[in-house]
Order: sequence, then C-alpha cells, then structure tokens
Amino acid sequence: MKIMRFTSSMRGFCCALALLSGNLASAQNMGGDAIMAQQAQPPTLDAMTTSAQASRNINLHIYETLFARSENATPIPDLVESFTLSEDGLTYVFSLRQGVLFHNGKEMQAEDVKASLERYAKVGASAKIMEPVAGIEATGPHEVTVTMSHVVPDFIGQLSSPRAPAVVIPAEEAAKEAGKIEIIGTGPYEFVEYVPDSHVKLKRFENYSPNMNYTERDGFGGRKTAYFDTITIRFMPEGGARTAALQTGEVQFLEQLPAAAAQRLQDNPDIKIHEMTPWAFQTIFLNASQAPTDNIKVREAIQIALNMEEIMAISTDGLYRLTHGWQHPGTVYFAGDIGQELYNQNDVDRAKQLLAEAGYQGEELVILTDNSFKNHNDTAVVAGEQLKAIGMNVSIKVVDWPTALATRAKPEGWNAWTLMMGIEPYEGPYGVVGFFVGDNNFQFEKDEVLENEYQVLNTSLDLEVRKQAFANIQKRLYEKFYAIKVGDVGIYQATRSNVVNYKPYRIPRMWDVWFE
Amino acid sequence: MTRYILQRLLSAIPVLLIVSLVSFLIIWLVPGDAASEMAGPTASIEEIERVRQQMGLDRPFYQQLLQWYGQLLQGDLGHSFLLNRSVVTAIAERAPVTLSLTLLALFIMIVLGVSSGVLAAVRHNTWVDQSLMTFALLGMSLPDFWLGLVLIYSFAVLLGWLPTGGYIPFSEDMLGWLRTMTLPALTLAFTQMGLLARMTRSSMLEVLRQDYVRTARAKGLPEWLIIAKHAFANVLVPVVTVTGLSVGILLGGAVVIESVFSLPGIGRLIIGAILRRDIPVIQGGLLLTASAFVFVNIIVDILYAYLDPRVRYEHS
Repeated sequence: MKIMRFTSSMRGFCCALALLSGNLASAQNMGGDAIMAQQAQPPTLDAMTTSAQASRNINLHIYETLFARSENATPIPDLVESFTLSEDGLTYVFSLRQGVLFHNGKEMQAEDVKASLERYAKVGASAKIMEPVAGIEATGPHEVTVTMSHVVPDFIGQLSSPRAPAVVIPAEEAAKEAGKIEIIGTGPYEFVEYVPDSHVKLKRFENYSPNMNYTERDGFGGRKTAYFDTITIRFMPEGGARTAALQTGEVQFLEQLPAAAAQRLQDNPDIKIHEMTPWAFQTIFLNASQAPTDNIKVREAIQIALNMEEIMAISTDGLYRLTHGWQHPGTVYFAGDIGQELYNQNDVDRAKQLLAEAGYQGEELVILTDNSFKNHNDTAVVAGEQLKAIGMNVSIKVVDWPTALATRAKPEGWNAWTLMMGIEPYEGPYGVVGFFVGDNNFQFEKDEVLENEYQVLNTSLDLEVRKQAFANIQKRLYEKFYAIKVGDVGIYQATRSNVVNYKPYRIPRMWDVWFE
Repeated sequence: MTRYILQRLLSAIPVLLIVSLVSFLIIWLVPGDAASEMAGPTASIEEIERVRQQMGLDRPFYQQLLQWYGQLLQGDLGHSFLLNRSVVTAIAERAPVTLSLTLLALFIMIVLGVSSGVLAAVRHNTWVDQSLMTFALLGMSLPDFWLGLVLIYSFAVLLGWLPTGGYIPFSEDMLGWLRTMTLPALTLAFTQMGLLARMTRSSMLEVLRQDYVRTARAKGLPEWLIIAKHAFANVLVPVVTVTGLSVGILLGGAVVIESVFSLPGIGRLIIGAILRRDIPVIQGGLLLTASAFVFVNIIVDILYAYLDPRVRYEHS
C-alpha cells in the first residue's frame, strides 16, 4: 500500500506563475556566446563516471537527473514529476515528466531511465548508491519502479547528488561502456564539440522541456531557461591568464577568482565579484594506524595545538569562516555546539602536556600534501609550523595530486593529510561520514561507534533519529580525533558586469542568466 | 653523406626504445594512476578500484608494457585513457599548435638574435653593443612564465592589442592565428634570443679579426659587404649549432608557455597526461619529443656540411 505521496507542490499556482515569468522572460535577452574559463579540463563528459568538478561544470548543462538539489541543497524532483514510497520504505515508484526530449530528438521514457540507472550501477563513480537496489522496472511508458533490498533513507538524496550525477541518457547510449557514449542528455544546452586542452562548446537546445512545475531556477533544478546561443568553456590552467581574460572581456564567467585578484578588482566597474561561502571544508585527516598518530593523545594534542584562524587566513587568502561542525550551520544535520570546546584552542601548554602523557619521543610526524591545491599546501605548512611549536618533529611531504591520493590510500607513509572537501558537505552528512566508516576508512581504524551510528543514519526513516545519529558521529569525531575540521573555505566567482541575474552556486550556472 | 644519415637514423632507434622504456618504468613506479583522476579526488578506494578494472589498469606491468611495444611495432601508439581517442590522433590534433609556435618563435629568435648579435659586434664596445647585450642577458635571465604574464598584462589587459590566450588555426584565420601566437612566440623566443645574440656577437668578433677580413678591408670593399658576405658566412656554423639546440629548448619551453597562454599543444598534452597518469599519452608524447630532438640534431649535422665545405662526414 502506498501511503506517502510526494508531488511538486502548488503545481497550479506554479503554472500561473510560470506564465507570468514567461512574459517577463520575453524582456530578457536571448543570444550571445557566453565564455567561461576554468582551470582544468574534464577527464570525461560521460557524466556518471566521474566526480571531477571540471566535468560537473559542463555536464550539468547537458544532462539532467531524476532529482536535483535545490538552492539550499535539498533534493527536489527534476525529470521526475512525482513519486511514491511504499510504507515499508522499499519501493519507489517514479512518475516521469512527459514530453521531455533528448538532444537527439527522442522522447525520454521509462526504458531510458531504467537503462541509465542500471548503467550507473555498473560504471557510475558512486555506483555504491545502487548496491541496495534489488530491481528496476519500467512499469509504464513514463513510470519506473525501483525496489530496494533494505531501507535507504537518503536514496533520493543520493540520486539527486551532483557529485557523480546519476544522469538520464538514451537507453541505446546506456548500453555502451564508460567513456564511449555519444554526449546526449535532456539539459538546456546540447553538446557541440570538445577540443581537449582548449574548450568545450555547447549550444542552446531549442527543444528543451523546462520543468513547468517551478517558476524559476532552483539549485541544479527548477525551471531552467537557456538564454545564450552558445556556451564555450575554455580550459585555462594559469590563474593570472584567466583573470586577465576576464578583465579584457574575452571571458565573461570565471569558475573561481583568486582572493587576491578579487580584492584588486573589487572596484572595477566592468567586473562583478560573487562570494560563495561556505564552499568547502578544510580538513586534516589523521592516520590512526601509524605512529605517532596511532596514539589518541597525540591526535588530541594536534587538535588542541592548532590555531585554525591562522591556518584559514593564510590558506584561503582571507575568505573563510571558523566553524567546528562537520555539517554547515543552517543545514538539516548541523549538530550544534558538539565539539566546539575543542575547536581552535591553540593551547600550546595543554598540547605539550598531552604529548608528554602520550609518551611522545620526537617521532616523525609526516604531513602529506600536494602542490596542486593551494589550500592543501598552505594548510600543511602553517599547521606544520604550529605543531613544531609544541615540540613535534614535523616533516612535510609535498607531492603531486595523484601521488598524494595513492599515498593516502596506504596505511603507512603518512600521519596527516590535508584535504579540502567541497561536494561532500554540500551533499549532506552521508558523504562526510563515508570517509570514516567501512573497511576502507580514511583513518585506518574501524570504529564501532561510528559504524553503528552510520548504520542508523542509513536505515532509519525517522529524520530526528538520523539527526541524532549524526550528532553522535560528530561527538565521536571529537573524541577520537580521526580528522580535524579546520574551517569553512569560501570562493569568489566572477562575471563581467553585463551578465544579468547570475547567482553563485556549486557550478557557474549558464541558465537563467543573460547579457545586458 | 647518405651513409652517415642512415647510420644516425639507425642509431636513434635504441635511443628511442630506451627513452620509452625508462619513461614507462618511471611513470609506473610513481604512485597514482588514471583511475584516481577519473573517479575524482574524494572517491573511495572501492570506487577507484572499480574504475581501474574498467580501464584495464589492474593488469600486471609486463602485460601493459608488452602490449604497448606490440602496438608500437604496428605504428600504433595506443589509446588515451582519458581523451577517448588514439594517442596518434591526440598528438596530430596538437602538433600544428606546438609546431607553429616553435617555428614562429624560432623565426623571431633568429631574426632578432642574429641581427642584434651582428650589430653588437660591428658596434663593439659602444652603447649599442652594451645595450643589446644587457637586453640579451635580461632575456636569458627572466623566467618565461613570468615574462608571459607580463606580456599578457601589457599587451592584452592594458593596451588591448592582443588576446590573452587561446588558439585560432592558421587554416581558419591567418590574422587570428598571428594574433594568438604573437605573445607566446615572443615569450618563447625572448629567452633563447639572448643566447643566440651573444653567440653571434662573439663569433662575429672573432671572424672580424681574421686576416681575410683585414684583406677585404685593404682591398677597399665596403664594410656592409665585408660583414654580409665574408664575415657572416663564417658565423653561421656556431649560429646553426645554437639554433639546433634551441629547437629542443623551445619545444621544452612550449610546455610552460602553452599553459600560460592556454594553447592546446603537445606540451600541455604531455603535462596533463603526467598529472593524470595517462600512460599511453605520456609514452607517445615522450617518444615524439625524443624523435624531434634526434631529427633536429641530424639536420644540424647535415647543415654543417653545407655551410662549411671542410666538414665531410665520409672522411671521418
């Protein structure tokens, strides 16, 4: 028996507003080639196979998902019109929006969704979200039924995540291997060309089916309108060159503007600077299997010694927020003051005392970091100096990013690892907690308390119970010091002044913006 | 001469094989692989392992190495893990960018470097000589990426004469190509121009002290004719040597310049491949670069014989 029904709220009202906004839209300017510069090129445009930011920036203009994240990161229907969840929490029935066309002209139907989800289970970069799925059936031309082997309270949240998005592609493409598909989605822009090391070009999809259940854009979903004729995403590795290109007007959007450049350009009338705080967590993971950080007292000493304000001020060039939580304040799972008394203490005497209690004898503390991300490197250097001040024998190991990832994946060779996690806290608690649980946890110590609470988080249908479970997890993290939350990182995005209605978000969104 | 060229070409084969083997070994020993890049920075170990299997990177080292050499014998450099195209295609797409950048830089370097070297020698110990040599020293000393950014700021941001970067193919728009290539080629040429100018100057000074120049002057020949005909021909051998070396350095410098000016060339292809552990592209790119070095050296050796009749390889 289906007892829970979710539909896009206030549909009739929305349609009326949509008509109104349609009239307003006519006053907005269609046309133009919008050029956005980003540092890296995408490893692939096969959206579901990668969680790289460089791919996401492009792919979320081409593809869409059953559910998307709203402006405040909560899941909202996108390609789904409505859905029901059975009383036992095991059966989802998705009613799809009708008349949605792929870029090849074919209408999206249930078979496409079924094939796409099945492909995600095979090649998706976050394929583990499909592990609890027992079956996917097309139960009508526009209806898909997903049966779960056990309750997964966040299943819709996972389906809506932009991290490695579970996009819907034509069934014939879904039959292909990773990286071998034609780039075809249902999004407001369609793929034109990808010239590696140079650019990706998209053009407005003239037969795009906007979601009329909404009146305006909302995060990655809502009612999207493509105003630009084409979008060019240029790959410009050098930060100074990207800023210069914005200044000359060669590009109109910057994925990220260095803080120093933002300060320099803040009075430039040709440029608008958009702050996005919080963007990410700055963290330091501690290896609980390798001396000296295998000793909890040493880990506590590190937590107590650090001056987070100094680290954040230097590593972010001044755009940061000091928060202790492992979720952003104001979000559903934010756990209040838990752990705050241990955050940003910079108590050198207490830290030295803890080291003495730990029996620390000057063993080398290896801080692993990389030279690809300034935040990582700066955090390691500043934290390293602070830890030297409490008498630790610090060695900073700077390698390139792939080497850092490979080194971190082994239990030996490092004690602390600097990581800026952006998309995980945006997604909610599951991605963040995922680092600390399971056989391949990042601290190399399986913690039963964390495992049990994560189980509750993953199985309870009661939100309050899940919130308490997350609060317990945060408490545990501040008891065991498996990782240190340093602070919240902000970023600046930038546009030329003639870009209207731009709002910063996880990616530079090219829909519902236009040239003056 | 033909025999010599054949010998040089044959001797290049083991060099190229060693280059490819060493690069394969080095990149294999360095931690990290393309699967990590594909899966994303915060992917779990299971996620990375799944991608690794899909890409065939979980196979033993020797299998991947043997496969690569097997393909090489058939003229196939393999398939890029991340670019979704063959390595040959990836290189062919970028070759025009790097080649045109290098040739334009070479042209600027030779024209400005040789002429300033000759002028400095002719105006030896004057303010002209000192100014030109100071300028040359400056060129040799400045880091190319810094110079590139200064040129971008000056000519693109302040003056608005040229674009900050990007690439327009010569075949599409000749003027557009020249506009996009001018700043990177100038940056690239500037560092090598100083070396060439100094080498030309010192060679020219030496030649100008030779008896045959004195004789020419005693005969009453005009100074320009002495410089252009009698002296300059004898300066060419060291100039060609430096130019040959510079081609290799320019190709190497293109790696940095292509990043600064967002040019989709071979240098950026190789750097991107190294950072993402795209082994077939690294292998193919390094093989191509090593081949270019060998080829340029052979050309330089042949040019010696044409420029200096005393050089005859058959006798040696």
